[in-house]
Amino acid sequence: MNIFNQTGKYFVLLLKVFSKPERHSLYVRQTFNEIDNLGVKSVGIVAVISIFMGGIITLQVAYNMSNPMLPTYLIGLGNRDTLILEFSSTILGLIMAGKIGSNITSEIGSMKVTEQIDSLEIMGVNSASYLILPKIIAVVLMFPLLYILSVFFGLIGGMIVGPAVGAVTVTDYLNGIQYLFNPYYVTFSLMKCLVFGFLISSISAFFGYTVEGGAFDVGTASTRAVVNTNIMILVWDLILTQLLL
Amino acid sequence: MIEIKNVYKSFEQKEVLKNISKVFNKGETNLIIGRSGSGKTVLLKAIVGLHEVDRGQILYDDRDFTSMSQKLRKKLRQEMGMVFQGGALFDSLTVEENVRFPLDMFSELSPLEKQKQVDYCLERVNISNANKLYPSEISGGMQKRVAIARAIVLNPKYLFCDEPNSGLDPETSMVIDELVHSITVDLQITTIINTHDMNSVMEIGDNILFISEGEMCWEGNRTEILHADNQKLQEFVFANKQYQKIRDDKIEGK
Repeated sequence: MNIFNQTGKYFVLLLKVFSKPERHSLYVRQTFNEIDNLGVKSVGIVAVISIFMGGIITLQVAYNMSNPMLPTYLIGLGNRDTLILEFSSTILGLIMAGKIGSNITSEIGSMKVTEQIDSLEIMGVNSASYLILPKIIAVVLMFPLLYILSVFFGLIGGMIVGPAVGAVTVTDYLNGIQYLFNPYYVTFSLMKCLVFGFLISSISAFFGYTVEGGAFDVGTASTRAVVNTNIMILVWDLILTQLLL
Repeated sequence: MIEIKNVYKSFEQKEVLKNISKVFNKGETNLIIGRSGSGKTVLLKAIVGLHEVDRGQILYDDRDFTSMSQKLRKKLRQEMGMVFQGGALFDSLTVEENVRFPLDMFSELSPLEKQKQVDYCLERVNISNANKLYPSEISGGMQKRVAIARAIVLNPKYLFCDEPNSGLDPETSMVIDELVHSITVDLQITTIINTHDMNSVMEIGDNILFISEGEMCWEGNRTEILHADNQKLQEFVFANKQYQKIRDDKIEGK
């Protein structure tokens, strides 16, 4: 029964979040702050993770294609499609749920337990909308951009590691990543990113906004937020893959 | 003026407020006192609408807050200021930005006029040279004063303070008490303070409500409190031997 109760509360909170803002200019300013805090500040970690991801995928594809009958440029193609279709959207989503999601839960949760949210309510501010809406907009806008960066850095990672271990030449790798390119794969993944961005920001915000107690409870809420967001990302990945591919 | 009539509130099966009625006057510091866990914070949060009451009425100058629509409540809330126990300043904003926040959200003043109002309020609470500091960079007493400045920046008609002296030394507590009292008198607002600090009671208690276990036990003012014959109130007041001595001295005419 608890899951239905929580789901109901989540949708009630979303209704409050998407109600009319008090002062648009403040919301816009807040959204830009969140774009910087949640999006721009994630570029570094996305680059590092993606370079390693691309390198590892390249090594694994090369290992599975050791048959001399198979052309080596397929290593580049394998890395590209794996990154575009799954790794740069879903795996990045799972990682971002940890980074951005726990950040959102702990920030809002701390505000809740230190009465800062009550303080907003007393002023007549719709605290849910003021605190959560800019975060949702920021993450939904930034996640597709982070995805594109992740694909780019993943391909770079493959291009560094593949030739470095002698699995593929740079020329073959570059040929491979351009071979049989299907632009719809990118469109499909961008759509997934919009959904994942919404799930990460809204679920994490929900767990932060509904926390009761003190610092320990904020920590517990952060963990629950990450776990629940990860599960929902995988569920929606399955649904969207079946519907859109 | 704020009037509460027959207010009841319970959480799950536990009744926390039982039939509380009281008038809080304008231009006076109205205190709600009682032991920890007596229900005073719940009562204060019920008055400002952070908790919905189960039964009863809360009237702000004859406007029934309990039956008001959310839209009207939001409007009325712009006439309220509240100082929370921990200050509840926004960590990510500087002192100046914290005080300006309600103005940015609700007023149509120009940036220059807003700055003037912020400076006036910070001056009113004796804060200088801290405008650009963050809440974590100032002391607890200063945080409380900034919270008071933020609470009065929109010129509220009603001011609420939840344990404004908790965690402060006696000298700073006195400064905060005097500040709230003078703001109440100067601006002629209705102030309700939640406290268990007997020093505050004796300094600024114009109109006092004592509650115990969610029930209204006694009401009066600071001169009457030492002579009240209510058993529970006596246990609360004279837990500090100093007040027992003050009463005895007064009886003996010293």
